[in-house]
Amino acid sequence: MAAIVTTVQDYLSDLKKNRLAYYYITPAFLVMGFVILYPFLYNIVLSLTNMNLTHFRNWRIIGLEQYVRVFSSPDFYSILLKTIIWTVVNVFFHVTIGVSLALLLNRPLWGRSIFRTLLILPWAVPQYITALTWRGMFQYRYGAINLILVKYFGIHQIQWLSTPLGAFSAALITNIWLGFPFMMVIALGGLQSIPQELYEAAEVDGAGRWQQLRNITLPLLKPIMIPAISLGIIWTFNNFNVIWLVSNGGQPADSTHILVSYVYKAVFNYYRYGYAAALSMVIFGILLIISVRFIKQTKGTKGAY
Amino acid sequence: MGKTTLIMLSLFAVFTVLMFTRGMGHRNAKDIVIWTQDFTPGRVVLDSVLQDYQASHPNIKVSELYYETEELRSNFIVAALGGSGPDIVYGPSDQVGPFDVMRIILPMEDYFSPEERSHYIKDALVWRRNHLFQVADRIGNELTLVYNKKLVPVPPRNTDELIKMGKKLTKDLNGDGRIDQYALAWNYIEPYFFVPFLGGFGGWVMDAHNNPTLDTPATVEACQFILDLRNKYKIIPLESDYDMADALFKQGHAAMIINGPWSWDGYKKAGIDFDITRIPRISQTGLWPTPMYSPKGYSININVKGEKLKQVVALIKYLTSTRVELRFSATLSTIPTQIAARENPAIKNNHLIQQSMYQLEVSRPMSIEPVMRAIWDAMRPGYQSLFAGTLTPKQAAKQMQQDAVQKIREMKE
Repeated sequence: MAAIVTTVQDYLSDLKKNRLAYYYITPAFLVMGFVILYPFLYNIVLSLTNMNLTHFRNWRIIGLEQYVRVFSSPDFYSILLKTIIWTVVNVFFHVTIGVSLALLLNRPLWGRSIFRTLLILPWAVPQYITALTWRGMFQYRYGAINLILVKYFGIHQIQWLSTPLGAFSAALITNIWLGFPFMMVIALGGLQSIPQELYEAAEVDGAGRWQQLRNITLPLLKPIMIPAISLGIIWTFNNFNVIWLVSNGGQPADSTHILVSYVYKAVFNYYRYGYAAALSMVIFGILLIISVRFIKQTKGTKGAY
Repeated sequence: MGKTTLIMLSLFAVFTVLMFTRGMGHRNAKDIVIWTQDFTPGRVVLDSVLQDYQASHPNIKVSELYYETEELRSNFIVAALGGSGPDIVYGPSDQVGPFDVMRIILPMEDYFSPEERSHYIKDALVWRRNHLFQVADRIGNELTLVYNKKLVPVPPRNTDELIKMGKKLTKDLNGDGRIDQYALAWNYIEPYFFVPFLGGFGGWVMDAHNNPTLDTPATVEACQFILDLRNKYKIIPLESDYDMADALFKQGHAAMIINGPWSWDGYKKAGIDFDITRIPRISQTGLWPTPMYSPKGYSININVKGEKLKQVVALIKYLTSTRVELRFSATLSTIPTQIAARENPAIKNNHLIQQSMYQLEVSRPMSIEPVMRAIWDAMRPGYQSLFAGTLTPKQAAKQMQQDAVQKIREMKE
């Protein structure tokens, strides 16, 4: 309590000293308040209510009941596990492929700018177009993936979209393809900011390529990649478009949902507003904890703060 | 800090507030907005009839906005709750249930006299809690058997014939070991496309009290029948969704498809010489499959009042008039709801419409109760698990029922 009072007092005294600065940022605060703070607070209130189809106008505060429902539902834990697998697999491949390609493109290479442009393409195409195109490519009979598998590898057609594992894998492959260019661009920027002298000095000291990578490149890439990975985790954890469009709304048998698509379904198919708001708050809490712990443990922002 | 800066900041704040609140209030009484989920050819006709209306009512301006069905529902709920939204909302009758429960559409019985109501067929007027909430301009959404006349000169009358015919029509044309032509393709993984067969085996999705009735022998038999078509008789594709089935039929790789009226225009454009008829009778039971049908029509936003309401009602009466319904039917082959329109020679001589009505005779109306949504979604996991090979028909029927009961409870708690 004392800390809050002190903060408020500090703020008021700062307000008197830097009045003009505060006026300048007032419009931005107003807009932020409208588009971020108000919906967020409204969501918190909603999560404490029984608002649903039958209590749409006559909703009332019911405390933490919706949170109890979330945590007592077995579906929540299976979908959470699937969301974690989805996030880990995606981010792992985004970073691995992205950094590997960045290392390749950072070296003298014929047609480097063409490769760079081509590799950024997945990022430039709108996500929903990519997702629907990939869905078509995974189609059992006419899809490009099965045609290639049968023609060039002699593998029998795979039921990508009608089995739970197939559909989840299809969504994963699509999102990996969509996500690596971002990591590649970030890593490439980071690589170009590493002074060349460090490599020259390492060579003089007799360090090989692997040692240079391990002791110079990766440590100096870390402060750049950590915020990008944090963002990647948040975006992937909340990536609604790909999973929804590739699996056609969680098909087959609602087996491809991640938490965010499950929330969407709870709201727009079942009108469970209070429950979905509580689940959204849980997702927010999970992401907040993951991000804070990840940044703290990796000391990723040490150089910035 | 000078006064000028303060004034500038205040003006900015006022401007921001105005920007955010623009359009939230009530529009001019002469400015009517319709939200529709009708597909493109339907909207072209709607555009044209609205232009005619505005030409004869120079003071009225009508604008229409398209949303996909689900988007329309969610956007309308949010907008109407906030005291805004369109004046008229157009869509299938099953949206009436949730909208009424949320109290976001207006009862219309006071604005349509008994004499006016008598001009419509019974299904056109969608009632709930003794209130009229929707006036439909067409009856439809029913599934029928569509067949390529080049491949199927005479359609099968029952499922025995379908299977016999199907074995001949399913072919590997180029000898590569893969099927190139299927007898039948349809979106069989979707419960809506399964329901006709459920009815054909004597079952249904819910009873008269809106309780789910999915764990029945009829469900098990219907599931087994679809599985047999795929795995035993192999006359339908191993994997199929709506787009794939549609593409197969349009390319001549499927001799027959089960689809609704919205698809016919596409088959005409694809150059397929097709006809429609009833889905074949189930040989085991002697019953006809029973697709669901639903009226599609206009409802009024609860926030419409006063002078505006009069204009809105007048527009709905125009849009559901015989003349306008006939214009829709001429382009879209839709089944009109005005008794006079149904007696018109243009309808009587329209083969597609007559065949549709033949299918409608054995179809059943879709429930407008909100629990219908829970039942659809509850059916999906259990039913689709059949095709993933993770559940047997008996297990699937049991899971569908359990899920339906749970989802209905969750919707209400």
